[in-house]
Amino acid sequence: MPASPWLRPGAVRSLFQVWPLMIGLGLLALVRLSKGAVMLDAYAQLSRPFWPGTAQAEWLRSARRMEDQVRLAQLETENQRLRGLLQLQTVNPTRLSAPVLSRVPGGWWQQLLLGKGSLEGVKLGQAVLAPGGLIGLVSSTTPTTATVTLLTDPTSRVGVWVARNRHHALLSGLGTSRPVARFLEKDPQVQPGDVVLTSPASTLVPPNLPVGVVQSIDERADPAPEAVVQLIAPVDAVDWVQILVPQ
Amino acid sequence: MTLATRQPWLMLSMLVVPLLTLASPAWLRIAGVPPAWAPLWLLPWALVDGQLSGIVAGVCLGLLLDSLYPGPVSAIPALLLLGWWWGRLGHLGPPIERSFNLALLAMIGTLGLDFSLMAQWAWRSWSGLRGLEEAPTARLALPGWHGSDLAMAGLQVLLSQLLLAALLAPVLCSLLLLLLRRLQAASGRG
Repeated sequence: MPASPWLRPGAVRSLFQVWPLMIGLGLLALVRLSKGAVMLDAYAQLSRPFWPGTAQAEWLRSARRMEDQVRLAQLETENQRLRGLLQLQTVNPTRLSAPVLSRVPGGWWQQLLLGKGSLEGVKLGQAVLAPGGLIGLVSSTTPTTATVTLLTDPTSRVGVWVARNRHHALLSGLGTSRPVARFLEKDPQVQPGDVVLTSPASTLVPPNLPVGVVQSIDERADPAPEAVVQLIAPVDAVDWVQILVPQ
Repeated sequence: MTLATRQPWLMLSMLVVPLLTLASPAWLRIAGVPPAWAPLWLLPWALVDGQLSGIVAGVCLGLLLDSLYPGPVSAIPALLLLGWWWGRLGHLGPPIERSFNLALLAMIGTLGLDFSLMAQWAWRSWSGLRGLEEAPTARLALPGWHGSDLAMAGLQVLLSQLLLAALLAPVLCSLLLLLLRRLQAASGRG
């Protein structure tokens, strides 16, 4: 009976000679099983000096901003169309830019003095926006100036709602840099970080203007919970504002 | 009342008070609170020109400030009383010239002005809320400074303005006092 070729001493010897090949094959099998993880990670580490720089990231951010702006314009148009269909308030105010002549964000009166007045069509109660959102309402006018009572002034009261769950509140100034939103419901289910917008139910200001972000909540306040709101617009630094003038 | 009668144009210098209030430089604020400029101008004026002139200047200054901040509270009562008191002080005893005395008087004046505003807000809040005890949601809508706001932010405004008065009065009031005394002496000789 002839001996099996596998059992011959020469075959076993040659098997020991090709062990590096066998280990290589095993490693490749592992690479295959891991879907090339090791190889890709190694490539990433080796090619790190050649990764795209911050300029390219900025291009991407710019493109995303452009996309957001286009989407926002489209949503606004759609919103106007739907409000028209529902025969809701269809005021489409124009924005009148005005320089800030005087800024008093602290003290007994928290006001801005603007360099546009009744000659330019500014009237009492018009909303004033800064980059970031609503900062106050026009409280008095002269032919060439307008005084804005800031949202932080204790005489300021504006109807707002929380964008996430649409619970209404009254935004009241306290004389500090952060006004407080006093909710009308007992359980408004508000969380820190929620965005506060002007309420569509308000007759004083146009609906859904950004106002601020909820910073903290006092659940035990009487008669309903209160939330401290951080305004989005930087009142201390603003040099130009926009007044919403109805057409 | 030499200055007010013989050199009435000097009264125009009080226009610097609303101008400074409007300009309100950021580097002269503490925690966003600007100084109360009115007592800093009224103090030297009343000390030099007497109580009647102090009362008139206080009322004029109050009218100017109230026109800047039209609302339910007024600065006139406090400034009127301060003008009368400082005018009396200036003519009763030896002339007040030391920086410490001026700073102290300016601080008392600022305290009086701020207390007067706080008292008016508190009265307005109390009388407004009294009729709304049965409607708690309507109480939330009542605008203005209320008790808790006055105790927190109001106190901060008061302390900031006191500190600013103590810092500014030794410089500004001393210079203004010196200038007004020279002008008064010149007009007396004339």
